Amino acid sequence: MENHDAFSLKTFRDELEQHAISLAFNGSFSQDTVGLIDINLKNRENAKLLTKRIFGLVVEMAQNIHHYSAKKIYSEKYCRNIGVGVLAISETKDHYVITSGNYIHQQDSEEIKSRFKELNNLGEEELKDLYKMRRKMPQRPNKPGANLGFIDMRRKSGNPVNYQIKGEDSSNPFFILSAKINKQ
Amino acid sequence: MENFFIESSTYIPKIDFNSETDILSIEGESYHEYTVEFFQPVFEWLNKYLTEPGKKITLNFKMTYFNTSSSRRFLEILNLLEEYQDEQDGEVTVNWYYEEGDIDMLESGEEYEEDVNIDFNLIPYTD
Repeated sequence: MENHDAFSLKTFRDELEQHAISLAFNGSFSQDTVGLIDINLKNRENAKLLTKRIFGLVVEMAQNIHHYSAKKIYSEKYCRNIGVGVLAISETKDHYVITSGNYIHQQDSEEIKSRFKELNNLGEEELKDLYKMRRKMPQRPNKPGANLGFIDMRRKSGNPVNYQIKGEDSSNPFFILSAKINKQ
Repeated sequence: MENFFIESSTYIPKIDFNSETDILSIEGESYHEYTVEFFQPVFEWLNKYLTEPGKKITLNFKMTYFNTSSSRRFLEILNLLEEYQDEQDGEVTVNWYYEEGDIDMLESGEEYEEDVNIDFNLIPYTD
């Protein structure tokens, strides 16, 4: 038998089901991809506010991958390199969980960890003040992002954001973010 | 001068700036990945529009969703209008519309209201 038989779609499907993963995407995070997730979420029966919060987390994670993933693919359509990563929306009894993963540059690892450590220790008001303060600062040169994404994820989630960096000794560690939103 | 208009699409808001009525409206969703580039013509138009003093301007925001990158651009627009009001004898009112029950969008409006010295109306609407 050929080696490609090692992949079982059935096993893959069962795993998605087991973890109640309603949406998963692996690839380059173009504007169109995020637009499709937007449409998918709007077709669900969730309350609007909840849907918007889930989508808000998806956008900030997706755009983080788009701009900062260490692995990028050139897009003919957009004429630029677009970051590659993976994103999933899953569900537990009380929460929706939005998870993203992408390769990063090793030198960014410490900063990412210290930023989430700081954010996870802040209360709602402190997060709001930090967001507003950072928003007033000038756009960072050569960086398209607003430098607000991590704070926004933390605020939208309403819970500490889990972060993990796998293979920290390698030149391209894998960075995983996981944010949950309370259903109620 | 000419009016400024951009039709909305999946991740782009409708932008309707009218130099005759002095009503400027931004409406819909905004999650473009490169907002500096996307909003550049908006700022070019505004900078030209705001050279004439003494206008009574209404800025309507009726957003259902915007990303953090757009959030920065909105503050820059509000800062421009605040400056116009202070230095060029202008009068600016912001109407911030939010869908009834969308406490996050209401909060976003309140946060802008705290950051600029402009008259703000926070207005709920039902679909």
